[in-house]
Amino acid sequence: MSVVRANGVTKRFGRTVALDRLTVDIGSGITGLLGPNGAGKTTLISLVLGLRSRDEGELTVLGKDPKTAALEMRARIGYSPEHRNLPPDVHATDLVRHLAELHGIPGKAAIQRANDALWHVGLGEERFRPIGTMSTGQRQRVKLATAIAHDPRLVLLDEPTNGLDPLQRDDMLTLIRRIGSEFGIDIVISSHQLEEVERICDAVVIIDAGVVVRAGRLTELEEDVGALLVEVDEKALELAALLRAAGFEVEADTGPLLVLGAEGVHDAVRDAVADLGVGLRRLESRRQTLEDVYLEVSG
Amino acid sequence: MSERADARIYDLGYQPYEGVRRGVDWAPVTVCRHAVQRVLGLRRPFRHKILPGIALVVAFVPALVYVGIAALLPVDLITEDILPSYAAYFGVIVAALVLFSSFVAPEALCTDRRTGMLDLYLAGPLDRNRYLGAKWAAVLGVMLLMTMGPQLFMLASFTIEGAGPPLREIPRLLLQIVVAGVGAGLFYTAISMAVASVTTRRAVAAVATALVLIVPNIVVTVLFQDAGAPKELAVLQPAVAEELAWRVFDESHVAEQAQVPVTLLSTPLVLAALAGWIAVGALVCWFRYRRLEGGS
Repeated sequence: MSVVRANGVTKRFGRTVALDRLTVDIGSGITGLLGPNGAGKTTLISLVLGLRSRDEGELTVLGKDPKTAALEMRARIGYSPEHRNLPPDVHATDLVRHLAELHGIPGKAAIQRANDALWHVGLGEERFRPIGTMSTGQRQRVKLATAIAHDPRLVLLDEPTNGLDPLQRDDMLTLIRRIGSEFGIDIVISSHQLEEVERICDAVVIIDAGVVVRAGRLTELEEDVGALLVEVDEKALELAALLRAAGFEVEADTGPLLVLGAEGVHDAVRDAVADLGVGLRRLESRRQTLEDVYLEVSG
Repeated sequence: MSERADARIYDLGYQPYEGVRRGVDWAPVTVCRHAVQRVLGLRRPFRHKILPGIALVVAFVPALVYVGIAALLPVDLITEDILPSYAAYFGVIVAALVLFSSFVAPEALCTDRRTGMLDLYLAGPLDRNRYLGAKWAAVLGVMLLMTMGPQLFMLASFTIEGAGPPLREIPRLLLQIVVAGVGAGLFYTAISMAVASVTTRRAVAAVATALVLIVPNIVVTVLFQDAGAPKELAVLQPAVAEELAWRVFDESHVAEQAQVPVTLLSTPLVLAALAGWIAVGALVCWFRYRRLEGGS
């Protein structure tokens, strides 16, 4: 089922075209919205939330048009914005409860949900602290708790790891993965960090200059490119020569050999390694990484 | 082996919410209630309770004192010199309103824009108009507490103590209290919200609101008395809110003798001036928020 479906969506700011006939279909699971700064990610999120209206095209979010049913739609969406500000003098539990109530959860249930959400994001012991006394990582977690406390169908996360140190970033990504997999909430995460998206997302949408340049499940994008990576103890250049003699194309610049060709390549490598009497350290299929895809589409 | 009674479930994991969900119309109510709590400093550190506390003390304590005097003195000794009229008490209330609208009410709007809360609100089941409506309702509610609360308290207490008006006059007096209270409440809400909508800093909003409420009164009076400006210029005086109270209670006051220009306006002009101030305040606020993209 489509969570977000855009067909020919255009958004202009004066003469600047932020989204140019953007067409994309975002399904269930965790989807990464990738692109350089200024690519149109935040604009797309604001259209999805119904905070801005599109100039052209069709857009449905959770089966509804943000233009005509924005309030009802937003009641079932959780959002964690990019900025790091939150009211400093409010206790974390009060803020999360208030936003849960805002999204329609009645008072007592909202208190319970706020406490649960803060426990789930790892702030159970800290929930009565004023937000102003919390670290950047803890504030990001509070924002995540506000996004999930009302049990939304879709959560939009705008650069959720901005400003976090490597350890905090790692924890945050684990948490987001858990929300997407264990909690059963669909997530769209906007990021310009390839490795983050590669680590936690099921699918990816790459946007550049307001256009979707590639979209699909990560497993589909990271396809087998029909080549083998081969690393041996020694005599790598002799091995490369043997394989070339056997009719295979070999790239042997530095590091492991990259042997192109699918038919019979494994047998040829085995035989050549045996003939040379060297130890085989590594033999694996070369897959296209998200970085390869990103570099390919962004030129 | 442990007994069954010792078994405990410590973590149920994430639980989907299966309960009742209130409709989107509930969202402004939630924001309004939260804004009332914030401006009054509830669920916030003590320092945030000081200014709203002072405003409420200024509005209510004189009423408490007068009620106490009325309770202590024999009824035949209570004269108009001892207890103020309801119109005269409006002077006390205006002092509280100036304090509240300058130093407390801007909290309702400024902080949300400065801290990014506005983004979170507008990403929820709220739009700008509903958000502003909720904030206005919150500030107006507290203003009405100050404009009508002490008056109603005095009316009820004096009546119980036997020092109040005859029973047949009470409905009329109630109506006067409500009309004067709502007029002043709307006026001060409009001014403070308009100023708060153009800055994210509470201190700036406080100074600007105080200036808007004080400076035109002085300038217009000086222009009228010393430079021969027409009395109609008094529509620019924020004192029209207090003047309305005198007109509603049908009382003359000291300012008339001092030739303060606002007292020379006709009642329709006072009403029109008050409506104009409220409309301008509301429009400034509305236009300012209409221009904001996604929040701050």
